[in-house]
Amino acid sequence: MALLRISWRNLWRNRRRTVITMAAVALNAMILITTYALMDGMLRQTVLNATQLVTGEAQIHAMGYLSDRSIYKTLENPQAILSTLRENSIEAAPRAYGYGLVSRGTKSAGALFWGIDPGREKATFDLPAHLAEGSFLGPAPHKGIVLGKKLARSLNARLGAEIVLLVQAADGSLGNELFTVTGILKSVGEGIDRNAAIIHLDDFRQLFAMSTGIHEIAVNTRGRVPLEMLTAILPRLVPGSEVKTWRQLLPALSDMLQLSGASMSLFGAIFFAAAGLGVMNTMLMTTYERSHEFGLLKALGTSPWRIVRDVAFEAWLMAAVSTVFAVVLGVAASYALQEYGLDTSALAGETTIAGVVFDPVWRAALSIEAVVAPVVIMWIVCVLAALYPAAMSARLDPVKSMHRV
Amino acid sequence: MNYDAGKNISGWRKVNFKKNHHFLARTFLFFFPLVFLVILGGMHPANGENLTASDILNKVDDLYRGTSSHGMMTMEVVTAHWKRTLSLEFWSKGKDKSLIHIIAPLKEKGTATLRAGNEIWNYLPKVNRVIKLPSSMMSASWMGSHFTNDDLVKESRFTDDYKCQITFQGPRKGENIIELSCIPQLDAPVVWGKVEVVVRRSDYLPIVMHYYDEKLRPARDMTFSQFKKMSGRTLPAVLTLVPIDKPQEKTVVVYDKITFDLSLNDDVFSIRNLQR
Repeated sequence: MALLRISWRNLWRNRRRTVITMAAVALNAMILITTYALMDGMLRQTVLNATQLVTGEAQIHAMGYLSDRSIYKTLENPQAILSTLRENSIEAAPRAYGYGLVSRGTKSAGALFWGIDPGREKATFDLPAHLAEGSFLGPAPHKGIVLGKKLARSLNARLGAEIVLLVQAADGSLGNELFTVTGILKSVGEGIDRNAAIIHLDDFRQLFAMSTGIHEIAVNTRGRVPLEMLTAILPRLVPGSEVKTWRQLLPALSDMLQLSGASMSLFGAIFFAAAGLGVMNTMLMTTYERSHEFGLLKALGTSPWRIVRDVAFEAWLMAAVSTVFAVVLGVAASYALQEYGLDTSALAGETTIAGVVFDPVWRAALSIEAVVAPVVIMWIVCVLAALYPAAMSARLDPVKSMHRV
Repeated sequence: MNYDAGKNISGWRKVNFKKNHHFLARTFLFFFPLVFLVILGGMHPANGENLTASDILNKVDDLYRGTSSHGMMTMEVVTAHWKRTLSLEFWSKGKDKSLIHIIAPLKEKGTATLRAGNEIWNYLPKVNRVIKLPSSMMSASWMGSHFTNDDLVKESRFTDDYKCQITFQGPRKGENIIELSCIPQLDAPVVWGKVEVVVRRSDYLPIVMHYYDEKLRPARDMTFSQFKKMSGRTLPAVLTLVPIDKPQEKTVVVYDKITFDLSLNDDVFSIRNLQR
């Protein structure tokens, strides 16, 4: 306690200088807390957008399906797989895929048909709600079709338009059918915008003459089950299949997130270095002013280690007081950004990066790590910055230093 | 016997016509075939080959073409997952109009493909709609076969798109053949990196065509067989297309009946008639 009292008194010997240094440290720490919360919010939102819209946190395919996407590489008995997953409270939706042609009037285009279970898709993913116009498919097969944004535009198809579907069915015959446009998706990403033609799984089975099997089971627990656990559980639950996480399915996004994590670390390092240099400057000044005092202490038999300890403790105390303010202000700012968000729509509108749509309102995500990590690192930086002035003081020659004024 | 013709002719002018008519007659009779041979020889390459590479390829190109044609064919498609047989009736006129109707199986009966110029239209009786094939689907399969829509549309002459030369002639596998290797012209709108055409030496009918992709890897082989006389022409009645990467798959086209040079109205190749 004596140490705390002495250090506290020492801190306020030069009130103005200490306040300025503490303000700098507090401001640095506050900015870091807020920026980390904002970055965290963006990364989390990105992952959510990427996974919850369509991709899911993980996908299950038949072995080798992803490399050639042949209509014949199916997962048989999807019902069994889905109920096994449900028993383990893992939500998932089945999908079948097939290539073909959509045509309206004199316009036609290649498309990737998705055969989906509308009920499960709605319960598991956000795509059914991500519509620019119209409504999603109903629970019963009724020859309705939901088109990607650019596909609808290239067919000049509006809601209620009749579309001819022409495909090479799984038995080699020509599948063709008339469908009615019930909905048009909002922008999702280049691939889906240009290609996706979503129909009911039962309609798909009829069109493609494919009575059993599906191509994909997309798993989405909305972050409830951690990714590591999913990668451990899924291969055991669905043996003989290929399980891929969104990190493997969306490598460009995964890389981008890692890169932004690295750039945040660099950004943080610059702020910590600035704060550290400020603290070092202050501590150099105070120790220089007190060289007479340190010389006297040494002459009285104080060990050099004790002087180092005292100076380092003073630096920590300064950092601790600063970070209290930083936490209060930083948490308040982050909380406001979490609640109200930054509206970037005026700057960028709706943007997509690596095929993922970004919400124009940028919200922070406050977490304990995002607060504790900058605080603790700031303490360490301040103590380290004080070590040089502390070592200088500890090595003072008592006689010489007492000679000086 | 290597006489110089000009020298002999000037020698002939010097002879006295009246005195030596006997000699003249003998000389004429002797030299006439020789001159004739020399004239013919100018038309033939020195190595004794009778047609140039492009002549042969134009013959191959025109094999199933006439001013018009009409016939029936059977197309059998075998893939790793299914096998089916289609009966087709076809009409063609000039080099850019053709119409193919599916006669059987029942499920696809009435489905028709019309090619007019560079465009392909399909009529689907089940939904009673005509749809135009987008250009992005040109390299996609036609009716599930190993032929592409592009194979159907191809109207330019082989020799317009490819530079060809004879790379082998002589006996191979017990048959006297000529092999031609063709590489695409710089700006030709073709998908292949190289095409090798093997024809019979005797009548220049094709035996096999080897297609290579742009990296010069073998892509598919088209084999011609069962040469027979149809509508006054000798033709290979069976075409077999095998993709090299899936050797267990194939498409076999059999010409059951073909007639050439009949009179066909342009209306036959109209979108209206497609829905017939």
